[in-house]
Parts: sequence; C-alpha cells; structure tokens
Amino acid sequence: MARSGAAEADPPGEREHRRLAASLTARYSDWVLEALDELPGSFLLTDPALPGHPIVYASRGLAALTGYARRDVLGRNARLFQGAATARAAVAGVREAVRAHRPHQVPILNYRRDGSPHWVLLHLAPVFHAGDGRVLHFLAVQVPIAAAKRRTHPSCAAASGAVLAACREEARVEEDFPCAAHTGKVFVDMDKRGLEAEEPRVASDSEKEMAISMAESIVSALNRYSKLTGLVVSRKRCDSVGIPALSSSLNLSLGRIKQSFVLTYSCLPDMPIIYASDAFISLTGYSREDILGCNTRVLNGPDTSLEVLEEINQHICSEQACTVDLQSYRKDGSSFRDLLHVSPIRDASGKVSFHIWVHLDMGAKHDFSGLTPEVWQLGAVAAVRVAVRGLSASGSLLRPSQ
Amino acid sequence: MVSASATKVEGEYSFLNKNSPLDQFEGVKTHLYYFGAEHGNDNLKSFACSERSDPNLLDTILLSQWDNFAWKGHLDYDVTACQLKVIEGGRNFVCQLNNKWNSFFLKEYDKFFESFGYLKPNSMKRYVLLCIAQGENDRPEVAPSSSPPKDGLLVIANAHPVEYGHVFLVPSAMINQVSCYGDKRMFQLATKIASEVNNAAFRVFFDSGISVVSDHMLFQACYFANPLPVESTSTFTVYDGKARAGIIVSETVDYPLKALVFTSNNLQALVSVVSEISSSLHDNTTAYSLLISNNGTKVFLFPQVKNLATGCSLSAWECGGYFVYHTKFDFDSASETEISSRMSSVSLHASAFEDLKHLCCAIADDLVT
Repeated sequence: MARSGAAEADPPGEREHRRLAASLTARYSDWVLEALDELPGSFLLTDPALPGHPIVYASRGLAALTGYARRDVLGRNARLFQGAATARAAVAGVREAVRAHRPHQVPILNYRRDGSPHWVLLHLAPVFHAGDGRVLHFLAVQVPIAAAKRRTHPSCAAASGAVLAACREEARVEEDFPCAAHTGKVFVDMDKRGLEAEEPRVASDSEKEMAISMAESIVSALNRYSKLTGLVVSRKRCDSVGIPALSSSLNLSLGRIKQSFVLTYSCLPDMPIIYASDAFISLTGYSREDILGCNTRVLNGPDTSLEVLEEINQHICSEQACTVDLQSYRKDGSSFRDLLHVSPIRDASGKVSFHIWVHLDMGAKHDFSGLTPEVWQLGAVAAVRVAVRGLSASGSLLRPSQ
Repeated sequence: MVSASATKVEGEYSFLNKNSPLDQFEGVKTHLYYFGAEHGNDNLKSFACSERSDPNLLDTILLSQWDNFAWKGHLDYDVTACQLKVIEGGRNFVCQLNNKWNSFFLKEYDKFFESFGYLKPNSMKRYVLLCIAQGENDRPEVAPSSSPPKDGLLVIANAHPVEYGHVFLVPSAMINQVSCYGDKRMFQLATKIASEVNNAAFRVFFDSGISVVSDHMLFQACYFANPLPVESTSTFTVYDGKARAGIIVSETVDYPLKALVFTSNNLQALVSVVSEISSSLHDNTTAYSLLISNNGTKVFLFPQVKNLATGCSLSAWECGGYFVYHTKFDFDSASETEISSRMSSVSLHASAFEDLKHLCCAIADDLVT
C-alpha cells in the first residue's frame, strides 16, 4: 500500500537481473552468492561502475531488518532506505566516503518497507581490486542500534508511515531523476511529524564491533571466491589507493613541522589531501584515514564563504599564494574562524606538485612569541618548501601506489 | 624587558650617526632575535632542543622572513623552480640546474659588501631579514627593531640563492668598517645560530677565499633538504678528546677533497678549536672553507690550494658535494668523475694535509685542557 512509488519504478526485468548478477559473477565464482547467502545479518553490495550505483547483492538478513525482499532492492540505489527524517549530515558523510573510497561508520535513521523509521549503524567499506586498486564494490552492513530507552510513542511513526513513505519516495525520485521531481507534490510539513520520538542514537561499542566483524567475514568470503586470477579482492586503507604515499624520508621531514597544515597533490584530479600534520588532526578532529584522499572542501560548511573559496581557487589557478579568513568546520560539525594560507609548492624537479594549506584557529590561544600569525604560517610553508626539495634514491618523493 | 634592551642598543651605540645615511636604517622594520643567556655552563641545547609542540622560534622566523621576501619578488629567481638531481655513482653528489646563477655573483657580492662598508644602506637595507645577537634573558626572545645590534649578525637575503633560504650572516660591525676578521665571537654566533635553528636541513658556510676584501668576515647559510655527500662520507678519528672536552677530530676517508671534521656537543670547545685553526690558516694564507652542520655540532674544514688555472677555489657547498650548473648541457653531462677531479684539483697535498692535521690535533689538545 505504501509502495505505490515502487510500483511506478521500472521493475527489474530478466535482462536487468542478469546484468546485476554479472557484477558479482564476473569477478567471483558462481558459488559466491551461496556463500554470501549463508552469512548472517543485513548487508548489501553495490557496484559504483554501473549507472546509478545500484545494489547488486542483498543478504537474506536484509528482509528481516527492513522488510524489503531481495527483488525489491536489486538494481536500485541504496538511498532507498533513507527518508524524510534521515539526517542530511549523515547522508553527506556517506556520500563523501563513497566519493573518497574510504570506509565509514555512521548511525543513520533508515526506513523500512512499511515506512517505519529505525536506527541502524551503517558500516560502509570499499572493496578494492588488489591488482590496480580500482573500487569494485561497496559493502554496506546495517546493524540495528538498540534503543537506550523505550520509545514513548510507538504508534506515531507507524501512523505517519504511509505519508512519510510517499515523501521520501518523492525525495528519492528527485535525486535519481531530477527531471521527474514533479511526480510527487506531497512534500508538506509532514517531515518532522512523529519523529520527535526518534532521538539520534549512538551505537554501542559492541554494535560497532559487530559491524566490523561482519564486514570482515563478508570480505573474506569474497576473497575465497574471487576468480580474478592471481588478483584477490581485498580491503585496503584508502591512503594506499588512488593517492600515492609520500616517501618515508619526506614523511619524516614533514613530521617535524609543528603547524597545522595539509598538503594536497596537484597532479591528481580534485587535488586530494596527501599529507595531514598532527596539529591539523587535533585541530579538526579528522583522522588520517578520514582525510587522506579527500579534497579540502570537507572542511567547508554552511557559513563558509563561497566568495573566499573562489578567491582561493583563483590564486591556485594562477600559482599564487593567498591568506584568507574564513569559517571552517571540524569533523564534529563545530566551526572555527580559520586563518588559512594556501601556497603552491614545487618539488625537486621544479614543478608545482603540491599545495600547502596552513590552518590557524583564530579563536584559540596561541603563543607566537611576539610574532604575527602570518609569520608562523609562512614558517610552515617554507619548511615544507625545503622538505619537498629532498631527493630520494629513486628521484621521486612518492612511493608508487600499487 | 625586550623593548628596554632594544632601546638600550639604540641609545648606547651611536654608530647610527645622525648625519650618516645609515639613519635610514631606522625606517626598516626588522626583527631582532636575542639568544637566551648562557649560565656559565655550555649546555646550550637546553632551549633549542627541548621537545616542545611549538615550532622552533629562530627557524620559523628565518624561514618565514625568507619566504616572504622571495614571494615579494625581491630575489632574482625562484630557486625552488630549479631542478635537482643526484648524480649516478656511489657518492650521491647533488647538482642543480640554474641558468640564472653563476659563480661571478660571488665577486659581485664582494662589491656589494664593499658598498656595505662605504655605508650605502639603500642598497642593502631591504635585504636585511633579521638581526641576531646574544641576549641577557633566560629565554630567547624577539623584538621589533629598527637598529642593528652592535655585536650581532645581520641576516641578509642573497638575491641569487644557491638553495632555499640562502642568506649572508654579516657581523654588524662591518657596517662600521670595523675589522672583525677572526673574531671568535662572530664565529661563535654563527655556530650558535646553526645550533639554535635546530633544523637538520640548515647549514652555515664560511669561505676564506671568497672575499678580496679580506678583512670582512662573511658567513652564508641555507637549507638543504638532503644530507650533503661529505656528511655521509666515512671518517677516521685522528684525535679523540671526548674524555676531556668532548671534541673529536677526524678526517674524511676516500673523499676526493681532503677534509677534517670537528665534532662536539660542547659549542664553546668546538668554536675555540675551529676559530684558532682558522686564524692559523689565515696567517698562513691558506684558503679554506667551513661547513657547519648537524645543528652546530659538526664543523667540516676544507683546506684548499688556490687553483691557478681557474683562479678561484670551490665554495663551501661545492666542497660538501653540491654543484650548480647553469646550462642544461652541463647539468645533463655532470658526472661523478668530473666533480671528483674538480675537487681533487683543489685538495691539499698529502704532506701539507698531514701538517695541518697535526696542527689541528695540537690546537685541540691545547685548548681543551
């Protein structure tokens, strides 16, 4: 009844099913499906290489948790589980992790097939081709988060279920097919109704561990049935994939620089972060696993001035240095006044290979020994300029990625 | 206290004669860095080496002043845009392709510093990045200053840098045309800078042969990301004074240019021995270069025979194994053999080197007792 939207969606035909199944069977033996079917819990595999990044496998346990049968979800994007009250920040975090090809764990409010919301701990992990580092699939494990206390109004969510289902269907359609947004006009102020009862939940340590161990057993099953000759599928840290690692001598020299900064690599599209200093980690709350491989825009938020970002961009394009004052955001969402210095850095070959981004929290107390913050920042810039002029025996600062 | 001492310098030392053009120096905003006072002992590392989470003060000022200067376009070229390579072979000589640099600059700088002597501040004042002097307080401190200290070193940017952060360290007395050649205090300040910067990439150089105005004592310094080849070469201890003043004299083994190495954690002892040897060499009219490395705990001495064919000896960084080529052809064809023969052509003859070695051991033995 609530699934009128789903009925409109093109039901995956036989051809479609084969196409999705091929995503798995091309890389694994036919037995992989049986092996995955035997694993407990609710999880999905999605294929980012197919248009729309569809779900190509859904576990048996998914139906019990979400009410969706396997045929309901195959071929669709995993955002079908999201709904009106799903936190945008959580969704943005997932998206960023997908984009950056890194593992991610977040409590998220999902919706069952009947429209009732429920909290799950979503554990997302990319599955890489061990040979060329390509992302083959994303694994999404869903572990239900137990309520800390009893829900006070159990009927609310159920009552508004139908409406909410329609709402989120509309939202979903809009994302998948922007031009089809007119199909639903039911976007009313129903969004928040009945959801006061659903306070954000925090996953317990045992739930987090459960998600991780599930992910591990799934990846090891994939490994067993991998038929990529000699190229097993494995989960790798994001810093060994996509972005090259810095040589250990350069890492050591950079590690002596105390200021808060990141280096971005100009030779890759979207200038991913290739190095983050300890001070940057403690300033922003991001771990290296979080931040390496990402663009510096992860620090942006609602109050980050677009004009200032454009100004930085222009300076980067013209190989100029600039210092700006803007609002940046930590991992926990809190913001700080950021005195940001961005400057191009040339490597030993004389080419601009990196950009340094020196961040200074203007709200925090600093001891500059009577100097200006700019002197402090330039000190870091200069120290990096010296460090990257180092030559290794191979003549390269970068360890080749696999 | 900071401002008080700065004012004192201004007031007490009237080398800033109101009628002299150096008045204009007062318009220059520069930093004055005071070392923390020493407390009788030679434990100079107490502040510089302490593991603090803050960046090193002197290192940060030097680097940022130089970077700022470079970005403002005051240098003739961007040295970080110059390609580097390690030359094939066991010694790992480093060479740089830099078509804007040539060794004539060294001679031009002689003129530059002559003009210095004749009080032409306009030509040099904007190049002053920092002044460094011994302070009286416990901790090192920085004060804005418009006048150079009497017994300090001026840090002056080299517009033709051989590497990142290339500066001259010039005794401020030179402005007054006071000869300070062989002034042990200046050598001590230069070594102390190397120590206080506390950055493995930072090296201080001294070339006795560089200046025709031979009364001028001129140090240079810059940042090299990699160890210089001579620093990784093996050495053989010829004098071990470790038990007494912690100074060790050794000689390089199998390096094309014969060199002596003085190692000590005791800055005073190191400075005493090396400056004594320097003045002997000076009296002897022997050309030599010094390389102060390893955060001021190691001094390489490269005695050189004056090469009559080329008329000039190697600069200290060339002695260390770092060469600049100004044409792509020379850069590409640079070889270990060619560099080694350049080095050995200025290397001291075996007997003269033996004599020097004995002299060094004797001086070290005398001074540390």
